[in-house]
Amino acid sequence: MAQTMAEKLLSQHNLAGEAVSAGDFLEARIDGAMCHYHAAEPMHDLALEAGFKDGLPRVWDPERVYVLLDHHQPTLSQKLADENALVRREVERLGIRCFHDSEPGIAHQMMLDYGLVRPGELVVGNDSHTLGYGSVNAGATGITRADMLYVLLFGELWFQVPHSVRVTLDGRQPDYPVAKDIVLHLAGEHGEDFAQNMSIEYTGSLVPQLSIDSRMCLSTHGVELGAKFAMFDADQKTHDFVKARTATPYALLQADQGARYAKEIRVDIDRMPFMVARPHQFGNVAPVDEVRGVRVNQAQIGSCANGRFEDIEIASRVLKGNKVAKGVRFLISPASQQVYLQCLKAGLVETLIEAGAQVITPGCGICQPRVGFLSDGEVCITSTTRNFRGRKGSNRAEIYLGGPLTVAAAALTGEIVNPREVLHGL
Amino acid sequence: MGFDLNRVIRGRVWKFGDSVESDAINPYYRYPTMEELKQHTMEVYRPEFPREVRPGDVLVAGRNFGCGSSRPGLVLREVGIAAIVAESVSRLFLRNSISRAIPIFVAPGISGIAEDGGTLEIDYPRGFVTNTRSGAQAGISRYPAAIERIYACGGLLQFARERYLREQGSGGNGTTA
Repeated sequence: MAQTMAEKLLSQHNLAGEAVSAGDFLEARIDGAMCHYHAAEPMHDLALEAGFKDGLPRVWDPERVYVLLDHHQPTLSQKLADENALVRREVERLGIRCFHDSEPGIAHQMMLDYGLVRPGELVVGNDSHTLGYGSVNAGATGITRADMLYVLLFGELWFQVPHSVRVTLDGRQPDYPVAKDIVLHLAGEHGEDFAQNMSIEYTGSLVPQLSIDSRMCLSTHGVELGAKFAMFDADQKTHDFVKARTATPYALLQADQGARYAKEIRVDIDRMPFMVARPHQFGNVAPVDEVRGVRVNQAQIGSCANGRFEDIEIASRVLKGNKVAKGVRFLISPASQQVYLQCLKAGLVETLIEAGAQVITPGCGICQPRVGFLSDGEVCITSTTRNFRGRKGSNRAEIYLGGPLTVAAAALTGEIVNPREVLHGL
Repeated sequence: MGFDLNRVIRGRVWKFGDSVESDAINPYYRYPTMEELKQHTMEVYRPEFPREVRPGDVLVAGRNFGCGSSRPGLVLREVGIAAIVAESVSRLFLRNSISRAIPIFVAPGISGIAEDGGTLEIDYPRGFVTNTRSGAQAGISRYPAAIERIYACGGLLQFARERYLREQGSGGNGTTA
């Protein structure tokens, strides 16, 4: 029977060795596990709770477990420093080979930067935005901490095969990133849970034009649409990206002709306006013109959604020779050290600092109440992942989400504006 | 701490809307200890919730309950919530609840029959939720056998340890038991 990408992925990884289709339950073989190890429920504590009195007794394959101390680097408290010290001891005890210990950055970006995830693999992470690796044709999804304990022990995990939704993006890639606008448009038009428990397959005439950075944004944000996977086919850009980072061989994941989709959605990129999510839900979406004039105290570019080279490049283009509006704090956090370096070499950081932006250490902090808290009544526009009430501190602050160009335009003018008003020739 | 899916639950309802998100349930970045979390869970929707929730209460929600991050909802169990019933549950929150054997039920139509402050009876074995005042009912989606086994075991942590010990053989490894 013709299979979707998700059906093919999970059939290939089914321990029972049979083909599976949407709705089936299975135990799947895991190719890679991205593990925070600490965060919220430390893995060691879960192992104790499970009854392993000395902690986790083993990991199933020390080559396939990737531990990255991303959320808490550099440490901002004694407690976190102590937690990180425990993780270091655990990694050594368990013999885990891949450990990013002394490098700040977002785990998801580092997984991709360092070629730790390849097309066709089934990779899990105990973070909701693990879906991002679908950008390079991998089957990747977030799991819970307890799931991760199971994976670390056995290299296996239960799944239900998702139904699939095919999202066709048609149009021409403009001279600036639009991935965030696409996701916001989808959430606004079809509801923020339209892909609940489903697998998104992105296709259409825009896709070959999309950078890997933009694909990462679209895949990462799959979870904001409720999805289990959000995947792209591999093309030359994928091969170039992956082969520059790893010599590990891989097999492509591709849907069959005639595969069955539970939903088909089409987006006309050429007619899509710049989109913004208003407080306090991802799906509370409007074209930017409808919220025009909202004054902002803080603007942010960063996170696993939009903290990549192209996101920072467009901000630099907007601000070149200009100044951030008086009274606006413009925070920029590259997604990883590699991204940071790329931006430095291209001269973007210099331009942004001259314009009055603050560059924050790579990592997850900018997307959480970790750096850049908001006070009562303050307004923030951000290209990060979520606009939940209290996400940046005060419950009385307001968070808008927008693409990096919309955020940079707001940083420049001090209010939410249509980017066409500030960047001419769009 | 496990939960027996076959136990009938009866409790006072706290009713919420759609897309209740994980940061609101578990704002651990701002309130890192469980004691603090218990004072703040769900306050962004209903400030009185942490103060007035009582052990045995039932939480009813609309679509997409628990959307957002992979944070678990253990704090709801800690404040005494006996069960969660929602129109639909975000995939990670559902996985989290199954993993920790927290009673959570998907019951399409629940928002239409449950009243805030009213009483619900949740009867998973018979497959429905009942508003005890009006008698109105909504059907509960049945879990597959694999999920019921995780509940029966007391959660995925216990399930994992049992499998590990089984595979190690009856001799086992004393240092990990």
